[in-house]
Amino acid sequence: MASQQILFSPAELAYLHRSLSLKPPIRPDGRAPTQFRPLTAETGILPGTNGSARVHFSDGTEAIVGVKAEIEKTIEAPRAEESKPESNEAASERTRGDWLELAVEIPGQRDDEASTVFLSEMLREALLADKEFAKKLFINRRFHWRLYLDVLLISPPLSYPLPLLSLTTHLALLATRLPRLKSEGDEDPMFDDDWEASTFLYPQEGTATNGSRPPITLLVVAIGDNVIFDPAKEELAVAETALAVSVAEVRRAQKAGDMEVDSKGRELSLLSIRTIDPPSRLTPPGVPHTSNTGSSAFAPTKLQKAGDQETEGVWKAPLGGTKFGVLDGIIQAVLEKGGVADEVLDGLEGVELS
Amino acid sequence: MPREAEPSLSERTFVTQALEEGLRVDGRKFDQFRSLELTFGDEYGVAEVKFGKTRVLAKVSAEVTVPYTDRPFDGVFTITSELSPMIAPSYEVNRPSMEEVLLSRLLEKTIRRSGALDTESLCLIAGQKCWSIRVDLHVLTHDGNLTDCACLAVVAALRHFRKPDSSIEGETLTIYTSAEREPVPLSWLHSPFCVTFSFFGEEGEQILVDTTWLEEQLRVSTCTYSINKHGELCQIAKFGGAALDAPLFIQCATGALNRSKELTDLVERKLADDAKRRDKGGFMAELTAENDR
Amino acid sequence: MPLDTSTYSLALLRVDGRRWNELRRLHAQIRTQDAADGSSYLEMGHTKVMCIVTGPSEQQQQRRGQTSQRDAAAINVNVVIAGFSSVDRKKSGRNDKRIQEIEVTIANALASNLHTHLFPHSSITISLHVLSQDGSLLAALLNATTLALIDAGIPMTDYIAACTAGSTSTYAAGDDSADPLLDLNNQEEQELPFLTVATLGDSDRIAVLVCESRVQVTRLEGMLVVGVDGCKQVKQFLDQVVREKGAEMVREGAVEKSDAMGMVLDE
Repeated sequence: MASQQILFSPAELAYLHRSLSLKPPIRPDGRAPTQFRPLTAETGILPGTNGSARVHFSDGTEAIVGVKAEIEKTIEAPRAEESKPESNEAASERTRGDWLELAVEIPGQRDDEASTVFLSEMLREALLADKEFAKKLFINRRFHWRLYLDVLLISPPLSYPLPLLSLTTHLALLATRLPRLKSEGDEDPMFDDDWEASTFLYPQEGTATNGSRPPITLLVVAIGDNVIFDPAKEELAVAETALAVSVAEVRRAQKAGDMEVDSKGRELSLLSIRTIDPPSRLTPPGVPHTSNTGSSAFAPTKLQKAGDQETEGVWKAPLGGTKFGVLDGIIQAVLEKGGVADEVLDGLEGVELS
Repeated sequence: MPREAEPSLSERTFVTQALEEGLRVDGRKFDQFRSLELTFGDEYGVAEVKFGKTRVLAKVSAEVTVPYTDRPFDGVFTITSELSPMIAPSYEVNRPSMEEVLLSRLLEKTIRRSGALDTESLCLIAGQKCWSIRVDLHVLTHDGNLTDCACLAVVAALRHFRKPDSSIEGETLTIYTSAEREPVPLSWLHSPFCVTFSFFGEEGEQILVDTTWLEEQLRVSTCTYSINKHGELCQIAKFGGAALDAPLFIQCATGALNRSKELTDLVERKLADDAKRRDKGGFMAELTAENDR
Repeated sequence: MPLDTSTYSLALLRVDGRRWNELRRLHAQIRTQDAADGSSYLEMGHTKVMCIVTGPSEQQQQRRGQTSQRDAAAINVNVVIAGFSSVDRKKSGRNDKRIQEIEVTIANALASNLHTHLFPHSSITISLHVLSQDGSLLAALLNATTLALIDAGIPMTDYIAACTAGSTSTYAAGDDSADPLLDLNNQEEQELPFLTVATLGDSDRIAVLVCESRVQVTRLEGMLVVGVDGCKQVKQFLDQVVREKGAEMVREGAVEKSDAMGMVLDE
């Protein structure tokens, strides 16, 4: 996480922290606390993939995700286990994990660096938390699709790229199409050559729409009692808590005659919450003016003392964990009707899939 | 991390000015190579090459392994090279420098990918057993023109190498020791050699061959050709550097071809000498009762 | 592998319908990204690459044993080949020697073209993303880098324009009637000997020359001539892209037109 250097002085940090803990907070770019940075998105940009998307935030960060699917032979679980439904479930749980490979590429960083691995695991975990995901990749008892998601951050990593990568992955998965299966049962799979006839991995309309949609992972920070979504780099630098919250929409089959579809809102399920070590913890503390007596021989001891107690308006790296109340507030803000997740999903639905 | 000492400003001016006057520091002509020494070891497959103060040792070894699953009919052939701190403290163990990466890529392209060694002949039982030929390249001292030197050493060592003879009867594979049957040479198809040209001066108009380490640090550009005596190019590598006029490359290619022919003759001659030397004390000679009288 | 290109001799048309001296469709954009100092997107046929330039900026900590340069800017090149770029998904390791070789080639070519002595103690970071590959990869990367560096406003002597050139028969066939080919696609690269050549501006001066296949030395001249000619066409194209973008920026008022600009805007 602390991959980027923070180039803010303690005075700047203190200023940011103060303005962000006001009620309502004043964000450096003038957004409302729950407002996302404007973004442009397009899908289907790479004809060589099963699904692809490119998302471009207004601050210039940009990501491209390509999804490729390959057919793979399912390694059959030992027969003995099949009699016990529980262990069989466990086995399928395990194989499901291998069916999806997700790689994050961040320029200038090695792909085995801890922060990169953490990022890709967070994205993967949210996807796999959906129990129905493996069903979508199931062809027959002997074969399954293996999905490769390659997540590329194109721009230099200006802010923590998690929300960007997550939104791009979401769109790419929505745009992913698999060839239509022509064969039946457990025979070797045969597919329709016609790309027009291919089916979406996440069906868009019709009777098959029930089931979950691909998840989105939102980055939320808490500063004081304020909850701020989609933090920019400056905001992350003073965050007391940073959380990655993954949610997914679950669609139920609509009953016939249920006319008011839109007004019902959507059903959201919370998939995972992960705390992220905010870079603010590594910031150097400010020195209060009172103890900054450079010439004094007692300066070191005074500095020590200043570190113990907070002086108003002097930056000090946050310590400790997150209060329950703040956590509650975050989850509330994400999940409530008309909340942030709702808003983001609404926005993403507007992206035309090609 | 220790850094390589760069030539000082006065050294720099001295060498470049001398080159402008048509002189090299060691008194050679621009297109003159250093004296070359190729010696074979007592064992098969060991070759040492000296280009002036540059010294490289190559050793070939063979063992029986399982072939790669995607290439069941091919043997395994690898060239490993290591530039160790023995050459200069700036080279570190286990952290390949850029120079080493480029050297191993160049050898790979010149010898392995050009099909100099017939890897199909290394197959013993398709998909199950094959010979794995491994060349270990040790750079002992580095005084410029490492690529040419290393390539010559590897080719010479492979040409000199003998692998144990083997036979297959039904399903059983027998590998014979050198006492049972005379070891056999590798199935060799062609001998490519690297020739590196270094360019000096503003426009790259001074073309030098077989540069020393000092000269290499001051060159503006370099181009390495790999070519065999039949005039088949295996690769050309001019990785950036100053831009040069296109006709120069044709001119250099001709030079590379001539040099390659010379090197081919040299290796052939040395191999013949070595074979003669060995033949005298061969196993059959030991068994005969006759003597020189 | 069947020699699909063997049909060439019948109609003198290549697998994708081009003649011997035709380039594939070129498409390029510059300033594709706001966050970067310079950026470009380039398509050569189905080969699609993106380039992001950051810098010249304060020198970062030493990475991968690069020697620090005190009197000139250090150039770091980073090539990422996306897993989805080829037909079959392939994940290339970070230590792939082929990629490292490409990185060194680009860095060295730029080191002698850019006026790096103007930026001592600093570094220029170039990250390249390969989104789709269909032959002429190194050439596409070099061209994209040139565009992005122009966008970043880093002074250079001239454009580096690159393309590939090949020969219609394999090394084994000794026929002299082999035609040289320009700008090979992936299928042709698999079957035919080819080389990548990059020239400086409108001159015949070659900055990069890489050949990785076995070919008769007598063919070299023919391939070089065609390649250098192709580079000139590519340079024309790159120049046009830059001029169009410049004219657009002046029209939109992003930059002011100055007398120093030696370009004709009213075209």
